[in-house]
Parts: sequence; C-alpha cells; structure tokens
Amino acid sequence: MKHKAAYIIGAFCLLLLLVHAGTKKHVPKGPEPFFLQLPAHFPRPVYDFTRNPLTKPGVALGRFMFYDFRLSQDSTVSCGFCHQQFAAFGHFDHALAHGVAGQQGTRSVPVLFNMIWQKAFMWDGGVNHLELQPLTPLTDHNEMAVDLKELLQKMQADPKYRAMYKAAFGSTEITSERMFKAFTQFIATMVSAGSKYDSVMQKVPGVVFTAEESAGYQVFQEKCAACHKEPLFTDLTYRSNGLPYLPALNDVGRMKITGSTDDNLRFKVPSLRNILKSSPYMHDGRFFDIYQVFDFYDHGVQVTPTTDPLVKSGIKLSAQEKRQLYFFLNTLTDYSFLNNAGLSEVRIE
Amino acid sequence: MILRIFSFCAGGFLVLTLLLAGKPLVSGPAPSLQLSLTHLMGQQPLVRKTVTYTNASGEEFTISRFRYFLSNFSLESVDGHVVTLPPAYYLVDDAIDSTKNIRLTPVPAGKYKSIRFLVGVDSIHNVSGVQSGALAVESGMFWTWNSGYIMAQIEGHSPVINTPLQEFIFHCGGYKEKDQVLKYVTLPFSQPITIGEKQPPHIQLSADVEKWFLPDTVSFKKIAVIMAPGVKARQVAGNYQHMFNITGITE
Repeated sequence: MKHKAAYIIGAFCLLLLLVHAGTKKHVPKGPEPFFLQLPAHFPRPVYDFTRNPLTKPGVALGRFMFYDFRLSQDSTVSCGFCHQQFAAFGHFDHALAHGVAGQQGTRSVPVLFNMIWQKAFMWDGGVNHLELQPLTPLTDHNEMAVDLKELLQKMQADPKYRAMYKAAFGSTEITSERMFKAFTQFIATMVSAGSKYDSVMQKVPGVVFTAEESAGYQVFQEKCAACHKEPLFTDLTYRSNGLPYLPALNDVGRMKITGSTDDNLRFKVPSLRNILKSSPYMHDGRFFDIYQVFDFYDHGVQVTPTTDPLVKSGIKLSAQEKRQLYFFLNTLTDYSFLNNAGLSEVRIE
Repeated sequence: MILRIFSFCAGGFLVLTLLLAGKPLVSGPAPSLQLSLTHLMGQQPLVRKTVTYTNASGEEFTISRFRYFLSNFSLESVDGHVVTLPPAYYLVDDAIDSTKNIRLTPVPAGKYKSIRFLVGVDSIHNVSGVQSGALAVESGMFWTWNSGYIMAQIEGHSPVINTPLQEFIFHCGGYKEKDQVLKYVTLPFSQPITIGEKQPPHIQLSADVEKWFLPDTVSFKKIAVIMAPGVKARQVAGNYQHMFNITGITE
C-alpha cells in the first residue's frame, strides 16, 4: 500500500513536470541581462526597473545613441557633445548650454550621474520622469532641434540601428518608446558612488581622510549638509540660494513650472559629487571656480522674498574653512566613474 | 484513505492544470461598440484653413489644426451599473479621417443608457514615463519642458492678433490638482442600446469647435497663446467640455 502511494505521487509529480515543461517551451529567450551594482550605502532607486529591465544590448544601444551626433537636426551635436564624461557628464568650460546652428540656451548643462535616484529632472524639475528626460534636449531648438518622427524614420532606415533594436527589444521596429527606454538604460548605468569619501564611509581598510579633509567634512556637515544631503549630496529640493537675479537671462526657475510666486528663483539643489570636475557652477554657470562659490555664500547672497532661510544671512566661511572645504570636496571626485570604460564615447560610423 | 483523498485532489488539479495549459477556446469576435466623430463649427462641418468663421466676440478667424485625446471610456447600464472599458487612448485629429472612427472592444454584453469618457489623458499616464501608441510623444501632444500631455488643441489665425503670423495657439493641458483640465463627458443615449452577438451598435458623435469660445467668452485679443497649464487653459477647457453631442445611433 505504501509503495503504491509513492508510485502514484511520483507519477503525478512527473506529469506536473511535463506539463510545466510543455508550457515553458514557448517562452523566447530574451536579451542578456545587465547587472547594475547599486551602492550599499545609497537609498533604493526611485526609477522603477520592472518597466524597463536593464539588458546588455539595451544599455549598448542607449550608449550608441548618446554619442551619435546624427540624432541632432544637422548632425553636429550628440548628447555626449554637452555631457562629457571627464566633466562628470557636464559641459567643461561652458556657462550656458549650446546646440545646433550656434544656438544658446539660458542654463548650464546639468551633470549626469545617479539619475535613478532623482524624482524630477532639469534645474526646475519640469520633467517628471527619467524616461522622458531626453525628449527635451533632443527637440529643443537651442539644443539638438530634431523632429522626432524624422529621427525615428532615419533610424529605421539604418541597418545598424535596426540590428541594435532587434538585439535589445526582439524586433527591428523602432519606436519612440523603445528609443527612450534604451536611453534610460544607459543613463541608469551612470552611477557615481566610488569616491574617496565613499571608501571612508564604507570603512575600506587603509582609506582615511587627511586632517584637512576631515576638518572640511566637519565644515560641510555644519554649513552645507542641510541642502546637500548625504549620500547623494542633494536633498533633491528646489531652493532659492540668494544668487543675484540676472535680467538678461530672466530665469524665474521653478515658478515657470508651478506658476506659484513662492517658487520664484528656486532651482534644484545640485549634487556636490564630482563638483571639482564639473565647473562652471550654478544654474547659469556664472562661477568658474569653486572659491567664487565659497565667496558668494560668504558675502554675495542677495535676499529676495523666496530666499531660503538657511542662506539668508549668508554662510560665513573663513579662509581656512574654505581651504578645508576644498579638500573635502576633492574627496567627492569619483575617478572610477570619470574613467568608467563602460560609459566612454563610442565611435559612430 | 489518505491516498484516496490525495488521488481525488491530484486528479482535479491535473484536469485544471491541463485545461489552463491549453490554448483558449476559439470563439466569435468580442462584442464591441463603434464610435464615429464629425467635427463641426456651429451647424456646419468644420473646414480647416479655407473657411473664415466669427467667434462670440465678433472676431474673424480660421482653424488650421484641431486635435484631442479621448480615453477612459465607460458605459452605464440601464440598471445603473457602471462598466469601465479596457484602458485605451485615442488621439483624434481633424486632418486624419481614420482617427475619427473608434472601435471600443471588448464591451460586456448588456443594455446601456449612457457613455462617459475623458477628454484628455488621465494623470497617471502623465507621470508614468514613456508611452506607446496614441500616447507616443512624437505626436507633439506632450510638453517637453514641463511634462504632461496636451489634452486638446486648436490652432488658427485671426486678423485681430498683433503678432507677425497673427496665429492663435490653444494647447490645453494640466494634470496637477491646481491646474488640471481633466474633463469627463457623460452623454446619455436617447434610448438604451443593446450590445451582444448582433452587429455592434454605431454611435455618431459630433464635436463642435464653436463651443471652445463659449460660455466663458474667449477673445483672441485677450488670449492668443496657451502653451502651459494655468488659468487660460482651465477657462478654455471649461468651454470645450461641452463640445460633444450624440447625433445618431444605428443598431
């Protein structure tokens, strides 16, 4: 009797297995997944990867498009033209963004890293989703000025793009949805969490702050950390830091997005990671040297009704504190990110 | 005894598994509902570019573009149940006739007394990243610097406008609470319609552009450009929510 039971249960399990195998057979093999190492000392990413799982061909397609100058109206500028890896994907030495036909915008090129932790994009938070962020520079007349429908047709006519889309998404059909998802996959891999600061925080053996770095960290915690919150070094809020208004640019900041006068002159708090590699500073790139920024906070703040209470009386910094702060900010430079071979420019042929 | 119970359960489970693993049974086409849209200016069919109209403020104008999203369809049955139809988004463009025919499917069989839909795109789809189909952004119906769909738009020209092109651009959008223009429209049927195995019912709808300028009177001298959420978009959306009418039903 006992044996009989075992046989029947065994046969039943075998049948279940066969049925299971039978249904599995129709599932096609997808592209190879891309494993993104997330830093242990960071919060959970905001971006929902279940919508758009990272794959090796997806990331490769996003990277190729990022560096493809043919994505602009006259094939002169790529995303990577303004977002340079050695400048933490900001634009080295350029105060204001510029694009096709010598056009110039009104804000500086934002750096690109740790984007999957951001809730909204642009200096004013006007773009509400990471996937849709590239839409703005692609179509803006001062930037890449491309017509999306024409761009999709152009890609569809290109055998290399058809092959890359097929590898990433299973067919050669090129849609804006696929294009933006591939961009997002590449941008998602731009994670900067490998600076000396990170090693110190994670207690990597043998890595310690020097006396000056350590003193700078204290100055930072006392005078900067309320807005430039660790570990992202931004609290992702919009604040008016008292930067004098420039009539020539007439940039009202977040008020343009919300229509609320309370948001006049507010801009997103930028991250301080890689800060010494990503000058110029401020939303309009008016400062080219970090010491100008220190001096501005020390004695340059212009108070308006929306100026943040934290900076209303300025942030006093002695010459020694500035020097210490400089040394601390230097520990936020992430050479493993700036030299990450997986992010570097690819040859477009 | 244990064995018998096990065999019974296993047998039942096995039958169920085999049934679920198999392909679904083939049946006839799912019940559906056909909508067709006609665009009007007052009583007359809308003619873009070539015909000059006069608005409620006495200003002459022509229309060059007329587009809007329809989504979130639901039907109310004669016994008062609201049946929400599967999510579907349509971009109706006066310049593209094929966009004026909409087939809603599947619709559960039953007797219905009214139809309800959203003129625009619900807030969820304004904040959920890149979309496909009618919601794909290359339509130009998505704002790039201040994310969100343009729910409805008209563009045209009027001699009273003091810009070089004398153009008016009404792009109405906004999904955030303060400036939202999410207008739901409910249209009752003159008599209940039946959806079942027969030929799908066909509802003829009209959308009258004249309604964009009333009852909250719009003057091109005061408003020529709407390209962001706000007071002006809310005013015009408050008007255009009344533009739809059922002009006929064929069963």
